[in-house]
Amino acid sequence: MALSRRARSTRLLVITLVFISLMTITIDYRGGQSGPLELAGKGALTVVGPMQQAVAKIAHPIGAFFSGIVHIASLQSENRRLQDELRKLRTENTQAIGAIVENDQLRGLLGIKARLGLKGITSTVIAESLSNFEWSVTIDAGSSQGVKADEAVVSADGLVGHVTEVTPLWSKVTLILDPTSAVAGRLVDSGDTGLVVGNGDHDMSMQMVAPSAKVNPGEAVVTAGFRGGLYPAGILVGLVSHVAPAEGSLSKVVSIAPVVDFSSLQFVVVVTGTRPIPPPASPSPGASASSSPSAGASGG
Amino acid sequence: MARAQSRDSLGARERSLDSAGVRRVVVWVAVLLTCLLLQSTVFAQIQLGGAKPDLIYKVTINLAYLEGPSSGALAGFAGGMAEDFLLNQPKGITALTLTLVGYGVGLLRQYIVSPSPLLPVFLVGGATTVGYLFFGLIRFLLGEPVGGPGYVVRVALLTGLYNAILTPLVFPIVRRAAESSRTRKVFRW
Repeated sequence: MALSRRARSTRLLVITLVFISLMTITIDYRGGQSGPLELAGKGALTVVGPMQQAVAKIAHPIGAFFSGIVHIASLQSENRRLQDELRKLRTENTQAIGAIVENDQLRGLLGIKARLGLKGITSTVIAESLSNFEWSVTIDAGSSQGVKADEAVVSADGLVGHVTEVTPLWSKVTLILDPTSAVAGRLVDSGDTGLVVGNGDHDMSMQMVAPSAKVNPGEAVVTAGFRGGLYPAGILVGLVSHVAPAEGSLSKVVSIAPVVDFSSLQFVVVVTGTRPIPPPASPSPGASASSSPSAGASGG
Repeated sequence: MARAQSRDSLGARERSLDSAGVRRVVVWVAVLLTCLLLQSTVFAQIQLGGAKPDLIYKVTINLAYLEGPSSGALAGFAGGMAEDFLLNQPKGITALTLTLVGYGVGLLRQYIVSPSPLLPVFLVGGATTVGYLFFGLIRFLLGEPVGGPGYVVRVALLTGLYNAILTPLVFPIVRRAAESSRTRKVFRW
């Protein structure tokens, strides 16, 4: 009897709860976004929000741990995918950086050609010397492209060397660092001349400089462009790094640091001739004569 | 004299029952609130196959299993309403679903006599799945479907599975809370 009364009261309770739920659904459904229940929900959210925040702060590492466990398979595959993507992006990035450097060097070459009025063949360095006693590079231009022996080779920064061997498709360029190389150079400030001789991995030495010459460290040395020489005039060879005292000597010895970075040489121009440089449209008052070498200096 | 003593004893007993009732309500409110907070924080991160365990369903079913249909219905109603309001869902649908789930599980428990420890596991899994399907049906009937039928069935089955897996961990905690909140006058259903 008591049991049946209890069952009845339970049923009544459930019917009441279901009725309340249905009323809630109806009121919420009819009220829409601005109904009273929606406002009550927003109020409840305001109350429970800070509690959720506090619990989340404490429980986040726990949740992340379990989440990591349940997602371990997908994490592994995602990790593999991301690693592949990273490898691909790294390759692309390297290629992009290479392209930028290449672009800069080629622009520099165009610049030096225009500045010095040089005609030439642009080529790429494809190999360096294998010997420890020879400072040379191989370029991918040969006689079929018009390269001839003893032609000067320049990079965007300055003088590189001269062609010593030519085959139809490639040529060997002896660098100015090579001890067999000698370039007639001129000190830009004083105008004194000398012979810049290669010294391997050390700075080049400028010999036969008059003992009375006033040489300053950091002074630029350009090719003298003597008639009958290999190099056109005005190409930057290097900068004075050290001046040896000339007491009791017939000449002064000057050390020259090359301006070209031979370890990262990529593009060069084989100078096949010169052309007249058009005069600037509006010459600046401070322009010096040494910065515009004469067009006819190719024989120097 | 003896009559007065008997009246005093009855009064003390009533007071004791009242305080036990209050304690019971406080314990279950605390349990439901904890579940809600955990559900919206820790368990929100543990999603596998597009579904996650549902603690409110789990606790409602466990409570109905332990305490009977009226407690189950009340806990389901309270938990469902709290979930609807605190988690800003359409109001009343979870409450309706959990009221019926709690009542149904409590009622079913009266007819199942099995000492198997796996019974709560299967009951939780099955009731969660049925509850989710019912919830999906109501949302569909109200013109606010939660997804296609295939999606609802998949989520219902997965949630039931996850809740069943969690039963050996959660059920002892709920049982301990039920025992600590229970009055001396126990009705076995």
